Amino acid sequence: MTTVLAQRPPERQRPPEEQKQRPAAASPYSPPSRGLLRRVSGLRHHSPGRLQLILAALLALGLLTGLVGGLTAHAASAGTAGLGDRAQPLLVEAETIYTALADADTTAAQAFLAGGLEPATLTERYNGDLARAGTALTRAARLVPDDSAAGRAVEGLSTGIAKYSALVATARATNRQGLPLGASYLSAASQLSRDTLQPQAEALFRIAAGEIDEGYDAARSSWWLILLLVLVVALGAALFWTQIYLSRTTHRTFNVPLVAATGLFALLVLATGTLFANQRARLESAARQGSAPVESLARMRILVLTERADEALTLAARGSADREADFDRATAAIDFDDARLSSVRRYVEQARTLHQSYLATHDEVRRLDAEGGDYDGAVALAVGDRATTTFNDLTGTLDQAITDRKTAFTGEIGDAGAGLDLLTVLAPLLALAACTLAAIGIRARLEEYR
Amino acid sequence: MRTRLVLTVALLLAAAGCSGDSSPRYDADSARPGLTQAAPGQAQPSGESSRKTAGSCNPRASLRPTGALPQPGRMPDGTWMAQIRKRGRLILGTSQDTLLFSSRNPFTGQVEGFDVDLGRLIAQAVFGDPGKLQIKVIGYDQRINVVLKNEVDLVADTMTANCARLKDVDFSTIYYEAGQKVLVSKNSTAKSIEDLGGKRVCSAAGSTSYDNIGKVRSRPIPVAKANFGDCLVAFQQNEVDAISTDDTILAGMAAQDPYAKVIGERYTQEPYGMAISKEHPEFTRFVNGVLEQARRDGTWAKSYEKWLGRFGPVPQPPAAQYR
Repeated sequence: MTTVLAQRPPERQRPPEEQKQRPAAASPYSPPSRGLLRRVSGLRHHSPGRLQLILAALLALGLLTGLVGGLTAHAASAGTAGLGDRAQPLLVEAETIYTALADADTTAAQAFLAGGLEPATLTERYNGDLARAGTALTRAARLVPDDSAAGRAVEGLSTGIAKYSALVATARATNRQGLPLGASYLSAASQLSRDTLQPQAEALFRIAAGEIDEGYDAARSSWWLILLLVLVVALGAALFWTQIYLSRTTHRTFNVPLVAATGLFALLVLATGTLFANQRARLESAARQGSAPVESLARMRILVLTERADEALTLAARGSADREADFDRATAAIDFDDARLSSVRRYVEQARTLHQSYLATHDEVRRLDAEGGDYDGAVALAVGDRATTTFNDLTGTLDQAITDRKTAFTGEIGDAGAGLDLLTVLAPLLALAACTLAAIGIRARLEEYR
Repeated sequence: MRTRLVLTVALLLAAAGCSGDSSPRYDADSARPGLTQAAPGQAQPSGESSRKTAGSCNPRASLRPTGALPQPGRMPDGTWMAQIRKRGRLILGTSQDTLLFSSRNPFTGQVEGFDVDLGRLIAQAVFGDPGKLQIKVIGYDQRINVVLKNEVDLVADTMTANCARLKDVDFSTIYYEAGQKVLVSKNSTAKSIEDLGGKRVCSAAGSTSYDNIGKVRSRPIPVAKANFGDCLVAFQQNEVDAISTDDTILAGMAAQDPYAKVIGERYTQEPYGMAISKEHPEFTRFVNGVLEQARRDGTWAKSYEKWLGRFGPVPQPPAAQYR
């Protein structure tokens, strides 16, 4: 695609070039292309012809550079906006869906463990989780194309969450009647959440993380920039060579319009260079201070919730399903020393302390349940105030850190896009002006041959 | 599509469930020395033949108790009871969703029922305290394996004593006589399981009930779920048309769903026994001694009255038979 776009400009520029050649060439009627080529190549044998060729080359290069400069700025601007408006929000929504589902599942299991009528705080938390998942899902649906893998994940989640909440509602209603069947409904719901919904949410999260990487690539527009750089170097060289050639052949040291054209060209290079350097630095900063820590923190929150769910489900299963191995895997995967988290050290250290204290409680729960055989004591400890408060503080700290980094990202992305839109218009305009000046400068010399 | 998956799984399970027992041993491939093993050539997947080979035994006959029961808290050295006492609790393997036998009371969170009462009875005999009981919930298809792996002291989980299982574990004397029936929707016209040809009938994976569905002449489609609670959920969600298992379990389900009814006569005999490891027969004898006492002193009848009294007057407890 790049080559097609790059080829188009010269074709557009040929007409003025040909018009200029026609007065010089004798026959006005549709010359066969080979004849035209021969005549064009014939031009280089005499001075006015050579000047005409130089002018044509400068105009072509100049307009091409302006066009590519504008397109590069446009691609970079669109890429940056896409990153900020689509890829990053999608990651955040996917993470919300995942954590909300995991939290709902954990909450339901804890309400079940608590026995009797479920505590109002847990009901509230569960309802909040489902509402959050629903809202995030609606937002995610707007961010993904229908027929993409992400679109299918969103679709599957929408259907699944409806079924999930129906199952939990039935479990509650049945529990309310004091029937043990409620527990079976709850386990069916939990199974749906763990085996189908959460993997789908995880898939969406992975897709979103991948799109962020692609988004950064699109925002950097590296291929466009390389093309632009090649053109800029070629145009700069052409401008200098023309001026040297002219000063040698015409015994005038400076051709004022051409010097002015060179000045405009330098301005274009300077503006482009500054804007793209700023954009790159901001993107770099957005990645380092924003998306990377957000992704790392999001994974951490998911892992922490996995731990809590594993603990509750192991207790709820009363030995028929021991998820302690899964718990240990999650614990091992949590990395508080992740280098990406340097910008939120304070939160991370706080989270580390809280996590350690939670792990200590969990070990005690395990000791009571598995080794001591004190199931009731284990349950009381697991759903008790100490464990609940510690865990809520832990997820709360991670929430704060994520919000903090999301804000940082939004700021950096906004700054990264600054000026690029202006450059989209400015680059072709400056190029056009430089071309006009170059044409004026060379035409003045051409006049001398008349 | 999900139903088809369930069916496929069910069929696979049905195919796998034919050899010897419906719940394959965890070490089914590598024979464990020292334990009674399936005779060579018994691996061919023919449920009938394996039943015939095993049919020579009397699954109701257990080990005779030796003398009087020891005093609670004073278990003879070197016995499994002494081990349990040292551990400080009796570990009972059961389910938590079989209403009346062992189900979780939603109000208290405690697992309770006829089977759990028996576990408490054994704990009482060992410790003098029925509360020294740890309940371990196990899947239906793991009932043999948890005993083989010594993860529990005994399994009391509506478990039918049969010859196939007797090859792997010992059973206590029979403490309850059940028989298989079928539960359908209130508006169903079916009179018995024979009328359910081609219908999806649910049962727990690894239960004898599941195998029995496959033997019905009208060929209902057996559907396996992890436990009976899941069967009732599937029934209420219209994923299956009926549930077939022991009448008492079905009665517990019908009690939870006013739109369900139990139909037909018992078409099998399911004598319930507690599964205990063959490695310590003295514990089986001890449990039989406790059961003997419970039959005599009315404890059995009291527990029956409490959980199953709603189905009629308390019958005579099943008479103990010994080898």
